[in-house]
Amino acid sequence: MAARGALLKYLRVKVQAMPTTRNPNNNGLFGLSFNSIRRFSEEVRGTFLDKSEVTDRVVNVVKNFQKVDPSKGYDWKLKVKWVTPNAHFQNDLGLDSLDSVEIVMALEEEFQFEIPDNEADKINSISLAIDFISSHPQAK
Amino acid sequence: MFSFIQRMRSFQRNFSVSPSFPLLPLQLPSPMETHVWFVLPDEFKSVSLLNQYMELLSPCEKENVLTMRGDQLQKRALLSRTLVRTTIARYQINNHVVDPRSLKFKKNVHGKPELVWESDDGQCPSPLHFNISHTSSLIACGVTVNSPIGIDVEEKQRKIKNDILAFARRLFSVYEVEHLSAISDSEVQRQEFVKLWILKEAYVKALGRGFSAAPFKTFTIRMKDATNSGASEVVVESSDHPVSLTNNWQFGLFELASSHYAAVCMERDKTSDVAMRVPMRLTVRKTIPFVEDICISGTDAVVPIAGLIKQV
Repeated sequence: MAARGALLKYLRVKVQAMPTTRNPNNNGLFGLSFNSIRRFSEEVRGTFLDKSEVTDRVVNVVKNFQKVDPSKGYDWKLKVKWVTPNAHFQNDLGLDSLDSVEIVMALEEEFQFEIPDNEADKINSISLAIDFISSHPQAK
Repeated sequence: MFSFIQRMRSFQRNFSVSPSFPLLPLQLPSPMETHVWFVLPDEFKSVSLLNQYMELLSPCEKENVLTMRGDQLQKRALLSRTLVRTTIARYQINNHVVDPRSLKFKKNVHGKPELVWESDDGQCPSPLHFNISHTSSLIACGVTVNSPIGIDVEEKQRKIKNDILAFARRLFSVYEVEHLSAISDSEVQRQEFVKLWILKEAYVKALGRGFSAAPFKTFTIRMKDATNSGASEVVVESSDHPVSLTNNWQFGLFELASSHYAAVCMERDKTSDVAMRVPMRLTVRKTIPFVEDICISGTDAVVPIAGLIKQV
């Protein structure tokens, strides 16, 4: 719901006064809406991050997270190898609830926005993190 | 490792693998008593023993084990289910010998695992309660009778990658953040953080209503100053719930096997007077199911830290 509200806020079109040049080919009303639609989609595109960029950055955050603490009892190189866009925190990476919170905090730092706790609770895989961040306009 | 085991299984059916050391029957825990059983995954290297354990699991549990990625995580998942089944099977009720394979489990409406108890007059809630917690190096199972229980363990050396106070401010209550901020030594602060974390987890797990029912920020765990007896009491206070409810919960915090902190939370015995501070009776055993059980209560492998604990 928060995402929807944020989305609607960004979808609002700015109202600008049109120049008063008279162009016989340009039906005033049609020209106005055509230009507005163009500006509208540029604005929207500029706000959301590209999903493949988000994927790379999320995977890197988690890989670096795994590297920092090799004392989890098994080969950290393997663990880093298993950090893929489809990896599940618990079943693939052996992360626990404390790790999950730490990863969410690391993602907040990387993408410069706050993830509320009720949303953070649901992020238990890399793909969920990617989906959430890609659909959040405040992510940088 | 497990693809090898799956090939072995077809051979194993021809040899009846019987446990070399049967599960010895035990008396049930009394009121306000917790039995904690734990395994150390590093002690389990025998493929045939692990294969034996695999045979105890339900088809669903076996599938869950095999979806884990890699030997280590599969072993951990296997040992967790084995520990739960073999631990519960030890407690004979009505003098029936229980086959660990026969135990049935379900999840309560909030997702907390429970024992399905089939009594003669149809199903009723199981008198045996259990809860499990694991790290990569230790898996613990706590068992009580007629009292919801939550248990959480964590390595003493667990490093926090983020700034501890930033982490605490995010998740802990105002009082808890203040308590941590007041600690100047960063190592002591880290230890206190880990202890608070497992106490809070144990409480939420004991409540059994899921994390959303008791978000960490909405309750405070406090360790009251040590009394004359030397034990500091652990209390929980909740901004959401009245005192009459939070008084119901008793905590025990102790060091386990020199390597871990363990927190147990159980509901107070309703028949006893709440004003009388009855200690939590605690028995701790290390086990290799079907191979050996070692009682370590009262040794230096169990060191009480907070909460009224009486080792039996």
